[in-house]
Amino acid sequence: MKLDFSAYRSPGFFDELIDEKGVPRPWARTLVEQFSSMDSSELTRRRAAVDAAIMTMGITFTVYSDGANIDRAWPFDIIPRVMPSAEWRRIEAGLRQRLTALNLFIGDLYNAQSIVRDGIFPIELVASSKNFRRQCVGQMPRFGAWAHVCGTDLVRDRDGAVYVLEDNLRVPSGVSYMLENRMLMKRLFPELFELCDILPVDDYTTRLYATLAALSPRPGDRPVIAVLTPGVHNSAYFEHSYLAQQMGAVLIEGSDLFVGADDCVYMRTIDGPARVDVIYRRVDDDFLDPDEFRADSMLGARGLMRAWRRGKVAIANAPGAGVADDKVVYTYVPKMIRYYLGEDPILPNVPSYLCMDDRDREYVLANLDSLVVKPANESGGYGVMIGGRASAAERDECRQRIIADPRNYMAQPTLALSTAPTLIGETVAPRHLDLRPFVLQSESMYVTTGGLTRVAMREGSLVVNSSQGGGSKDTWVVEDRQ
Amino acid sequence: MMLSRVAENLYWMTRYLERAENTARLINATTLMLLDLPRGASFGWDVLPKVVGIDHQYQAAHGAADEAGIMRFLICDDRNPSSIVSCIRYARENCRTLREVLPRLAWERINALHLFVLARAEDAVDRTHRYEILERLIERRQSVVGLLADCMSDDDVHQFVRLGRYIERADMTTRIIDIHAAVLIPRQQGPEDPSVGLLWIGVLNSLHAYQMYRRYVSVHVKSADVVDYLLKDPHFPRTVRRCFDEVESCLAMLPHNDAPLARLRVAVQRLDRMSVRDLDPALRHEYLDAVQSDIAAIHQQVATEYFQRNEQAQVQQQASSA
Repeated sequence: MKLDFSAYRSPGFFDELIDEKGVPRPWARTLVEQFSSMDSSELTRRRAAVDAAIMTMGITFTVYSDGANIDRAWPFDIIPRVMPSAEWRRIEAGLRQRLTALNLFIGDLYNAQSIVRDGIFPIELVASSKNFRRQCVGQMPRFGAWAHVCGTDLVRDRDGAVYVLEDNLRVPSGVSYMLENRMLMKRLFPELFELCDILPVDDYTTRLYATLAALSPRPGDRPVIAVLTPGVHNSAYFEHSYLAQQMGAVLIEGSDLFVGADDCVYMRTIDGPARVDVIYRRVDDDFLDPDEFRADSMLGARGLMRAWRRGKVAIANAPGAGVADDKVVYTYVPKMIRYYLGEDPILPNVPSYLCMDDRDREYVLANLDSLVVKPANESGGYGVMIGGRASAAERDECRQRIIADPRNYMAQPTLALSTAPTLIGETVAPRHLDLRPFVLQSESMYVTTGGLTRVAMREGSLVVNSSQGGGSKDTWVVEDRQ
Repeated sequence: MMLSRVAENLYWMTRYLERAENTARLINATTLMLLDLPRGASFGWDVLPKVVGIDHQYQAAHGAADEAGIMRFLICDDRNPSSIVSCIRYARENCRTLREVLPRLAWERINALHLFVLARAEDAVDRTHRYEILERLIERRQSVVGLLADCMSDDDVHQFVRLGRYIERADMTTRIIDIHAAVLIPRQQGPEDPSVGLLWIGVLNSLHAYQMYRRYVSVHVKSADVVDYLLKDPHFPRTVRRCFDEVESCLAMLPHNDAPLARLRVAVQRLDRMSVRDLDPALRHEYLDAVQSDIAAIHQQVATEYFQRNEQAQVQQQASSA
């Protein structure tokens, strides 16, 4: 028996690989032909080889439950998601435009606030933002770059258009899985790479190193770069360790660091203190420095903010960058692009309703059953209410929360997320997905080719977060041949 | 550049692995030896918790000195921090924080070893499967040692891997000699009693040393010869003397090694001057206590020098020397 795509349909949704008549899209034709020609025993063998490789390569993420850590194997679907390079180039241009504007915005907010004075961005939003850090006022990191590493979530709606769902500017994760997914596919399906012109993704860690090295306060070829992790209990610990290993950086925890009387940051080594030039932190602002943020934090180092402000250490992403990682601020990004760049946005936002706006709030409260309501400052899909699937009680509870704190909520129509064929047992079935490309910015800008495709493995589910049962696929950007 | 935390985790990871294997060998050798004891001879299982240094915990947790209770405590009891299962779990937890400095396969094998003990350790309580399961554990642990020896540069990271291994090993060797010397020998009726020879063969076996002893010392197993061999032979990898030499070669490759090396030399001198052949067994016990204190002191110097460096003093030191 062979894998059969002929009956595959995804009614009501845009499918990434197969059109509504069941015909493979031009850029996916070779891939579908190859998978269709494998019989099920061959497919089962490869599937088993993938699972074994995931265990062998130790690609895991950590789930913390019942007071214990569980390493879960990374759920991976062997059928890649494919995009044509022409479309990708437009998306890449849109991401560059968006991140340029976002970095200008963050710098503006902590300095002249011209966007507020010019009446584009309401001052109340700054005042009420949890992620606006007064400790950063007056600062301007090198190259005007605040969000050095950004993971922007893109989704495709029923009409095939790509929208920006959110910008993750604090400590976005997932890039190691993008790299490992590609490694898995190369190991297990080498023949596909001969048949399709798949653009490589492997240069990410080199680019990340260069992005970070350019921030070093000390001139020299070999700045000391450290990846700051909250520790082994963090769900993204695998990634922190992976990136440190790939970049040849040091993986540190807060307890390894101290700030000297000279305001420089040191790590405790067997050879005495060693100065750190650049910290790629995977710890939230709140935990960076107990002197200035949460006093009970053990994850950062006392005096770190002082060292940063005096220019003795670079921190990526810069403290305070999260002010733009707010689902209410998000709605202003198209206006920012026009304001700072004088350009029309290349990538549209998902239409959004701000609960702080009286008319919008009225609409949201009247249409809770058809909207997705999101809190402004959560990540990982937490606190999101999907109106069409929530119970009446859940909707009611959401209504109360909105009324109590309108600034903290926004709503969007329920999107019909696109699908792609996913191997379920021995057949292919449509599953919803999104895409998280990663954008680097310091001396220059870099966008990953494609990104991490996350899949909701449960039938009909729209939740792609790995912490909530999501899986992933390799993402191919292929050169068009016609 | 090596973080103190990483050095400490490496050191403890290999200490735990070494301890798990030593315990497994001790149990297997003791079990085999028992089978050779003359009919009617009795054996005190409570010797084993004493060797490992957990007799107080054992008494608090169980009390009765029966074989099954002691085996369970030594092999798979979470309440015993030195049980085989606990050691492997700690080693794995340490290894999780070390993935960026260790060969990729090291994590995989230690992880597999952990899965193995979780699945099988309980079955080793009973004599039927004990030998086979513990041998497999030893085999898997040795594959980790081999991997680390063959896939790592001989850099700082590797020195801490070796330091943990040899300090733990020296400690365990003295414990095994000490307890058998102090507890079992007073029962002897005379030097020709064959059961005394059996006990010392058990000691040699629990260190995988019997074959080399026969080749290089004697085909006759005499307590004085065995003690001398296990303490002072410079060639067999589990003797205290050899472990000290290995520790010295590790320290020689590390920075700031003056204090730990000085402490090591005190220990080596004491060992070299000791004459254990014509020593009264009671005095021998005191000597072994002194060697154990030396090993603890070497550990303390390593910890002070590399794991708990006083940052402020050193920044000033660096600033003034710059």
